[in-house]
Amino acid sequence: MTAALRLAAQSAWVDFQEVAVSGFLLFAAVWQPFFIGVTTMYMLRHRADFDPMYVIVGTALSGIWSTLLFAGSGAIGHERWMGTLELLAASPASFFVVIGGKLAGTTIFSLVSLVLAYGIGAVLFGYPMTIAEPGWFALSLLFAVVALWATGMFFAPLAILWRAVGRFLLGLEYPIFALSGFLFPVLLLPGWVLPISNVLPSYWAAVAMHGAASGDLDLGGVLRAWFFLLVTGGVLLLIASRLFDEVLTRARRAGTLALS
Amino acid sequence: MLRGSVGAIELRDVRRLFRATTGTLRRHTKEIVALDGLSFEVGEGELFGILGPNGAGKTTTIKVLTTLLIPTSGTASVLGLDVVRDAKEVRRKIGFVFGGERGLYYRLSGRDNLRYFAELYAVPPREIPSRVEELLDLVDLRARGDERVEGYSRGMKQRLHLARTLLHRPRVLFLDEPTIGLDPIGARELRRIVRQLHEDGATIVLTTHYLFEADELCDRIAVIDKGRTVALGTPEDLKSNVSDLSVVELEVFGVDATTVDRLRALDFVDSIVVEQRELRQVLRIQTRIAERAVAPLIAAVAAGQVGRVAVRAATLEDAYVRLVGRVE
Repeated sequence: MTAALRLAAQSAWVDFQEVAVSGFLLFAAVWQPFFIGVTTMYMLRHRADFDPMYVIVGTALSGIWSTLLFAGSGAIGHERWMGTLELLAASPASFFVVIGGKLAGTTIFSLVSLVLAYGIGAVLFGYPMTIAEPGWFALSLLFAVVALWATGMFFAPLAILWRAVGRFLLGLEYPIFALSGFLFPVLLLPGWVLPISNVLPSYWAAVAMHGAASGDLDLGGVLRAWFFLLVTGGVLLLIASRLFDEVLTRARRAGTLALS
Repeated sequence: MLRGSVGAIELRDVRRLFRATTGTLRRHTKEIVALDGLSFEVGEGELFGILGPNGAGKTTTIKVLTTLLIPTSGTASVLGLDVVRDAKEVRRKIGFVFGGERGLYYRLSGRDNLRYFAELYAVPPREIPSRVEELLDLVDLRARGDERVEGYSRGMKQRLHLARTLLHRPRVLFLDEPTIGLDPIGARELRRIVRQLHEDGATIVLTTHYLFEADELCDRIAVIDKGRTVALGTPEDLKSNVSDLSVVELEVFGVDATTVDRLRALDFVDSIVVEQRELRQVLRIQTRIAERAVAPLIAAVAAGQVGRVAVRAATLEDAYVRLVGRVE
């Protein structure tokens, strides 16, 4: 267990050093949320019921989501491109732990979106940033990050097992953004989309974080959101763990671990 | 003859098929036979070479033995462990290097790459710093260890690969064309390290295109072609296959394919290899009649087209040419 944690931590650190200078992920974690945050502030700030914290939380979640979607769906392909996939596959280490650690590094990096979103609200627009339930918010953030990391882990093997699915995954960025209610309540959408939202960890992440930041949720509501957040994330992680074994076995059969 | 008494590696009738797809609108799938019943054994402590033309199955063999490919049929084992059933255990005991520059984390330093791979191979944390420094010394990269790998030369990357694969003290090493693309000094340095590892007792399987390299390093060599073993023995054994032959090297200018075919048809000519060197060609003609072949060969080529002429004994390369019938 300790060895696995060490390996995961080392993998996270290796990945963090790689993604911190990746132009693509900087776009996902910094430039795109900056654009989303600033434009949403301008669009909504004159409304009577405007809550700047809602925009800040939504902006941060959109940055974390985009970063993990892109990193997750490209995690294994990136190793193959680098020529390191064969080295990872032929090492005695658990492939699941290695990629899990690496996506954890990306997840930590994605938190830059949260800092950026806070800066947009507090510095650029000068709003007082108050969180109604700081403790609940901190836990909601922690659970949200874990569940979104699990979502990235679910995407990682999918993109390799079925290439067509891999291409489709990147197109999920905005639909999930909308279905999760990051910046606009899901209630604005037709009623039939709510069941879809309910199975998305990102939706429960938004419910918990928005609720804790605004104080609109009571303890029961927050616990319910945490429960579904962890359950949906846990289910994705469980499926991912099976898919990781399948990825390696199939690749060893088909001879697709290397580019050539 | 195996160097050790115990078999370190064993392949029994290994077949490996690949599927290739052709066409855009109407796609067709065809099966390519990469290994076609390959069998050989390698003794513990032996430095075993695998030679063969492009597409012969050298890299596929290494990938099967390093657990990266599952054989379509047949069995392969390393240190008595089946490479499919006991893959995880095999991985703890082997190391491998594939030729080329990829396979490193370019944005990390050489030292950080080694530290990370040490974690992957579960080297005890307390041993990692000293083991990394020891290996950086071995491959002469200690002074550049803190630089990012992206700034390394090809030779440095290849040496780092070798250090990377030694971190967990593997008992069996697979080196797939480790000197490919290296300058002569870099290649010589790498060969020195391989020789040292062999002297230290490691079992090494080496694939190479450079026949002098195999001749210099290997205890035994398997020549494979089209996924099958076509010859197996010590370099001397293989050379003895061509002991009856001499090689006449004719440097010629502007000789066409028809002339080469005419030479090939001469009854004392065993085989001809044509090497293009800028405006010249060098014809390497294997023959049993040595010096007596020179005059009729020159006569068969148009006057004025022949430059330097040399006659020499057959080498491992000539044995290889005779076995696989072509050069790349």
